[in-house]
This record gives sequence, C-alpha cells and structure tokens, in this order.
Amino acid sequence: MPSSEWVELNFGPQHPSMHGVLRLKAKLDGEIVKEIEPVIGYLHRNAEKICEMTYFNDNLIYFDRMDYVGAMNMEVGYLEAAEKLLDISISERVKWIRVIMAELSRIAAHLVWAGAYGLDLGMLTPFFHCFIEREKLLTIFTEVSGSRQEVNYMCVGGVYQDITEKAIAEIEDFVREFPKRLKDIFNMLMKNDIFLSRTKGIGILDKETAISYGVTGPMLRASGVEYDVRKAEPYLVYDQVNFDIPVSYKGDNLARVLVRFEEMRQSLKIVEQAIKKIPDGPYFNPKAKKSLMIRMRGEGDVYARTESSKGEFGVYIVGDGGVKPYRVRVRSPTLRNLSVLPELAKDVMIADMIAISGTLDLVFGEIDR
Amino acid sequence: MNYTVQVIGESVGKDGRKIIKVTKENFLDLMKDLKNQGFDHLSLITGVDRKDFMEVVYHLHSMKTNEYVVVKVETRDYKVPSVAGLWNSANWDEREQYDLLGIIFEGHPNLKRLFLPENWVGHPLRKNYDMKKTQYINMDEEGNDYATFDERGGW
Repeated sequence: MPSSEWVELNFGPQHPSMHGVLRLKAKLDGEIVKEIEPVIGYLHRNAEKICEMTYFNDNLIYFDRMDYVGAMNMEVGYLEAAEKLLDISISERVKWIRVIMAELSRIAAHLVWAGAYGLDLGMLTPFFHCFIEREKLLTIFTEVSGSRQEVNYMCVGGVYQDITEKAIAEIEDFVREFPKRLKDIFNMLMKNDIFLSRTKGIGILDKETAISYGVTGPMLRASGVEYDVRKAEPYLVYDQVNFDIPVSYKGDNLARVLVRFEEMRQSLKIVEQAIKKIPDGPYFNPKAKKSLMIRMRGEGDVYARTESSKGEFGVYIVGDGGVKPYRVRVRSPTLRNLSVLPELAKDVMIADMIAISGTLDLVFGEIDR
Repeated sequence: MNYTVQVIGESVGKDGRKIIKVTKENFLDLMKDLKNQGFDHLSLITGVDRKDFMEVVYHLHSMKTNEYVVVKVETRDYKVPSVAGLWNSANWDEREQYDLLGIIFEGHPNLKRLFLPENWVGHPLRKNYDMKKTQYINMDEEGNDYATFDERGGW
C-alpha cells in the first residue's frame, strides 16, 4: 500500500497498556505499524527547575516521585551526587542500609513490571501474585520509614531513622520465602504458550543500536552488553558483595523478561549478604543536621551515576557556592529506552507493538520529570 | 585519549572525571575524534544557563573501556552544532535542552519541543524565565496540545 493510504492511529495518553501517559502516533498499513512517534510530556512538572529553588536536602521528595515504583533507587542516585558536592561523608552502616533498601526497591519495581507485563499480554493472574509479594516489601518500607511508596527515607548524611530489629526480621522472612514465590510467578508466565509466542523473537534490539540510543539497564544487558554501573563504577558497598550481571545475547522480548527475572534473584542475593554484613555505627552524620544544612554550600559540578531498576540513573549537580543547587540535571534511563521504540516497532503488528512497549518498563514520572 | 583538535584546557572535576573545554568552532571536530576513539555512549547533554552565556556539557562514556570524559562548550548566541548525527541518543536530549533552555542545535534533524506544547512562550529553565505568568494548556482538533495565556482557554 502506498504511504498516502496509511491510516493514522492515536494511542493514549489514557490507554490502559501505555503504563501511564504515553501517547503514540502510529501510521498503519493494515495491521502493520509503519511509523511510530511517541509524544511525551503529559506528566511534566519540571522537577529540575523546582530543584533549583529548594535546599539540597529538600529536593529528595521530588526524586521519590520520579521513578515512583522504585523510589529509593532515585534517592540513592541523588544523594551520591549531592553528598559528593557538599563533602559530607556517610558511615559504613548507612552504606549497607542504603544497599539493602535500593535492592529491595529494585525487586519491588521489577515485580510491578512483571505484573503489568502479564496484563499487557492478557494474563491477569500473575499481576495479583506480583502485588502480593510487593505488598510484603511495602510493609518493610513502612516499618523502616513510615511510608509505603514515596518513602523519603534517606537524607543527606544518612537515613532518617535507624533500621529496626523488626525490619531486619521481616527482611529475613522475605529473603527466605521470596525465591519460591518468584519461581511460581516465573512459571505462570513462562509455562504459557501464548506468552512465549508473543515474546520469542519479537522486538529484536541489536547491540550497536542500543548503545547508540543510550539504552541502559536490563534492556541493554538483554542485547548482549555487560554494562552495569554497580560493577563498572561501584558506589556504596557494591564492590564488597558478590553478585552476577545477567546477560542475554538474543535481544528480543523474551530476553528482556528473563534478564529482569534473574536480576530479582541477584538482588535478593545482595540483600541476603547485606543483612549479615551490616555493621554497627551511627545512622546519620551530625554534620548534615537540618539547621546546618541550610547553611551548607556546594561548589563545582558533580555527576554521579547509579544503577536504578531501569538503567543508568545519573544526576548532574552544578553548585555556585550557594545554599541551593544552581542546576540539577537528571539522566533518565527510561527516556532513552523509550526513544528506541520507533526503531523496535517498525513493521510489526499492532499487538506486538504493545508487547514490545511493555518490555521497555516505562515509568512516566521519570521520563517527563 | 589523544586528539588533534586544539582545546582551551583540560582539568579534573570534583567527581574525578576528566573535563575538556573547547571552543564552539573546534567542538564538532573534537566530538568526531572522541567518537572514533571508542566513546560510543553519549550519556547526557546538559545546558547550564550562566546568565550571560550558555554552557553545554556533554558526558561521554565508552562501553568497551569504561572511560569517562566530560566536554564543555560555551556559547553566547545560544547556538551549538548538533551531534545527533554521531549518537542517536543526542536526538531527544537536544530536543529536551532546546525545549527547556532554548539552545538551538544547528543541523538537528527535527528540532521540536519534547515536553511542552509547540507554542509555549519562553524556556522554563532559563534563569530569567518569568514564572508568575501562568500558561494554560488545551487540545486542538488534531489532538495536539497548545498553550494559551487565556484562563478560559485551558482545561
């Protein structure tokens, strides 16, 4: 069919399979997608501008609301940069607490993705099982911080309150029970012919395209690049724990699913080691008390990269010697993962386009900021 | 890391990353040089509004050797050559910086706003942006957003 007869179709921004507010303008030849153009910005709040107007410590709540399903990964990312800029050291205990919380957040984020991806492909059951497990994680977050999702647990110089015995017992319970439950969820998805036929060999992303588009995280590792910031530039205490980076060389939907499931197992491995190794010590550096914090000034520019559940999450802070940051720039991994969608969803069926966009793990709080 | 291009200076930042400062004329040649030397991953493009000039910061990373380098270029007329032809990720990054800071990337294939509606007045991340003026967003017949100062024209 000549391109003048292609039908234009509008998806979203309020479509159930668009994971938030993604709008896709698709040009169709019958059921084949010929061109696709993502339209974003429906959740844009300009967090970068808000960050320029508030003190260093107060910015954290805006970072919580970026990747709202794995909020503590964002907090770690921001604090890596902010603490370097302000020259504030944190104790060993805080480092271990942050690793535990970041990894539990990663599991929670991947569980939301696994459930939602099942929904994308028409499976309702895994969704409930994923959310039952996630609920246990949210109970742990409530125990340590008092809040469920947007926890605002960490602060410049440490964490707001020490991790309690009860929380550690709950984490131990979770570590003990979760592998079996994860296996159940995994089998629910993988022992289903429809799921396999809709993921295997579909949406193949090759290595060079992925790197050129700045794709990172599980998507890049599913395309055969062994790049994980936790190994490439270890922050906190990731160089003291033993874990592997799952890599697949297929680059299709199924590879991305498998990599994410393996990542959950590796995260659990890290948490298991961390709760044994966590040392005693202060949970907060008194140098960063709130009253002092207002007078604390940062100068120079710092870029810190961390591995969030979606990929390389970078925060670039420029300070001019004032009490507020001069410029904050966030490297959103999902924005780059989304920018490769027009390449991936070329000449595929409409239904496959949904199957592909599901594996990108889109969270719009982070894309639009 | 060797490059033949004349640069203004090299330094090491607070986070231990190497910073190269370059003039706007030599900028594109330097970026091509770095791309050929294995910096295959353009991590981030940042515009920093320094009030009388605009500083554009490029974070480059090599997937193979895990090297990191920061390139800084200053511009007074808010125009910088585009690097979208070298790295595909620059396409959306430059659109975002154009949207929020008004930096014009010369040679960009599709320099449109990324987040805000096309007729939005001003660039919000500029230091002199007037935040007291409220703009309202509505949708036209085509389904595209547009901005208006009229309160009744918004949602």
